[in-house]
Amino acid sequence: MTKKFTKLALAAGVSAAITLPASAVAEIRIGIAGPMTGPVAQYGDMQFSGARMAIERINASGGVDGEMLEAVEVDDVCDPKQAVTVANRLVNEGVSFVVGHLCSSSTQPASDIYEDEGILMITPASTSPGITERGYELVFRTIGLDSMQGPVAGNHLVSLDPQRVAVVHDKQQYGEGIATAVRDTLKESGVNVVMFEGITAGDKDFSSLVTKLKQADVDYVYYGGYHPELGLILRQARQADLDAVFMGPEGVGNSDINTIAGDAAEGLLVTLPPSFDEKEENQELVKAFNEKGEDPSGPFVLTSYTAVQLIADGIEQAGSTDPFDVADALREGSFETPIGTVSYDEKGDMESFEFVVYEWHADGSKTPVN
Amino acid sequence: MQDLLYFCQQLINGLTIGSTYALIAIGYTMVYGIIGMINFAHGEIYMIGAYTALIAITGLATLGIAWLPLVLLIALICAVIVSSSMGWAVERVAYRPVRGRHRLIPLISAIGMSIFLQNYVHLSQGSRNIGFPALIEGGFQFGGDESFQLSISWIQITIFVTTFICMSALSLFISRSRIGRACRAVSQDLGMANLLGIDTNRIISATFVIGAALAAVAGLLLGMYYGSVDPLFGFIAGLKAFTAAVLGGIGSIPGAMLGGLILGIAEAMTSGYLSGEYKDVISFSLLILILLFKPTGLLGKPEVEKI
Repeated sequence: MTKKFTKLALAAGVSAAITLPASAVAEIRIGIAGPMTGPVAQYGDMQFSGARMAIERINASGGVDGEMLEAVEVDDVCDPKQAVTVANRLVNEGVSFVVGHLCSSSTQPASDIYEDEGILMITPASTSPGITERGYELVFRTIGLDSMQGPVAGNHLVSLDPQRVAVVHDKQQYGEGIATAVRDTLKESGVNVVMFEGITAGDKDFSSLVTKLKQADVDYVYYGGYHPELGLILRQARQADLDAVFMGPEGVGNSDINTIAGDAAEGLLVTLPPSFDEKEENQELVKAFNEKGEDPSGPFVLTSYTAVQLIADGIEQAGSTDPFDVADALREGSFETPIGTVSYDEKGDMESFEFVVYEWHADGSKTPVN
Repeated sequence: MQDLLYFCQQLINGLTIGSTYALIAIGYTMVYGIIGMINFAHGEIYMIGAYTALIAITGLATLGIAWLPLVLLIALICAVIVSSSMGWAVERVAYRPVRGRHRLIPLISAIGMSIFLQNYVHLSQGSRNIGFPALIEGGFQFGGDESFQLSISWIQITIFVTTFICMSALSLFISRSRIGRACRAVSQDLGMANLLGIDTNRIISATFVIGAALAAVAGLLLGMYYGSVDPLFGFIAGLKAFTAAVLGGIGSIPGAMLGGLILGIAEAMTSGYLSGEYKDVISFSLLILILLFKPTGLLGKPEVEKI
């Protein structure tokens, strides 16, 4: 059924590619899918802000081969069910390119639909390795993988010479994936991992977990998941006088964690993509963001910007707006973007992507740790 | 000794969460006891209580009022007033017009109300977590050595004490006061109570108001305990409280208290000794087991066939 569908979509795509240039549609529609509402809406803001800026700037400089880009924005609330609904809506809207989704658990089901319908998708934020492991032709990302981020976090913990480490996760694709990668790295280096346990995302009470961590006498805790739960764990750990250093992935690194955890967020270690906004060559772009009153420093702003730019560059390189041609162009070429030189492997993963360890502070600022 | 302390600590954690489940469960059980419907919007009333308390606390802080007992009192009064009026309004708007129809109709009306209230708060307050100031900080520790000490925070003690006071007051109210007696009469036989001159509409409204007021107290306490609120705050808590009410025997007030405590302790012990992943598995298995052997719940009375 799916195969037949893919072929059909392919045929439709090819025939569309043949007929479209003749009818000269002066618009390329790009879907932007991410959470506008819900508990991780803060990350969605970063994504939309980056993608909008890229579309504005590309249009201001004459568009892509004379055709303007137009954004179709949809809200997936970081909920897998909602992600499927909005993916279908984008199909109905007739978009050929999507920047999104944000949460790995949303990206995965949505990408099935895009692949079937012949839509090219670039996720600026989903780090779960599973997304690009299914041999899909039209799935790309502008961010690294948990399997790259996990070892960075794990090796940093190893370098701190921990005695007893606990690894906790939220049982979701992103959180558990990265927690497993961290645990494996720690075990390979002979670190004593005393606990590997899941919590329920959306829970509020972590006092039992905190008591257990205290009893296990851990000095480091790695948490795989997002900030609403980690914020509460930090706060409840502080109340119970648990004396351990916490570490988390980029899903916990935003200022909302300070709202929830308060002072308890001080000293939290976070692995994040490097601050692209501090790079010399991006200063002109940073200025453009500042003039709009937006903050380009979030981890997903410039990755989203890059995703849009790659779509535009891919279309130019391929000389066609057919998603399959663009996908080939992306795999073959190498592109200069705000996040550095991007080139893709067969699966659609970036050939190199770096993560950096930061120390988080109670006022929401961060400093790099070496 | 270590193991005993660990057990006690998990017991305290369980009792804290259990007492708040009990406070919320009262609202489910009273409404069910009187009109035999499940008020699915009750979790949302609790969430609105937490939001109102937060707004009141923030407002007082901008006015420069910082004396803790006064802040807590005003926040509590605001939360109780807003939640109670919400409870009253929900009954008037969504339940009274469909009362006495097929029992599915009020149920669907209740689910609709719950979705409406959740989205109303989404729109008016935003969907992100909002930090709740920890007004009651600190605690004390005792027993054990350097590595593990039993610790109880003041907020946990506040939760126990407040729950205990609310429960005792409610029991007294139901057993001694005029309205309480009318409540019991209505729950035994609504039609007969009506014939004997009890204003049943007023009593039913009173039930919703009392349940909502207790939920507002729980909202303020748990907001402070967890330190953040979001529009989905009431959903899981409501589900757990409903489970507690069924566990203890829906319709029975002491049953709701017992059910809440058992559920809280079961959850804490499972995460403490097994793994947090099994927390919900164990609590719901417990529910199924109890319902298998005692279908009316722990303290529920079997329904008497009225001839």
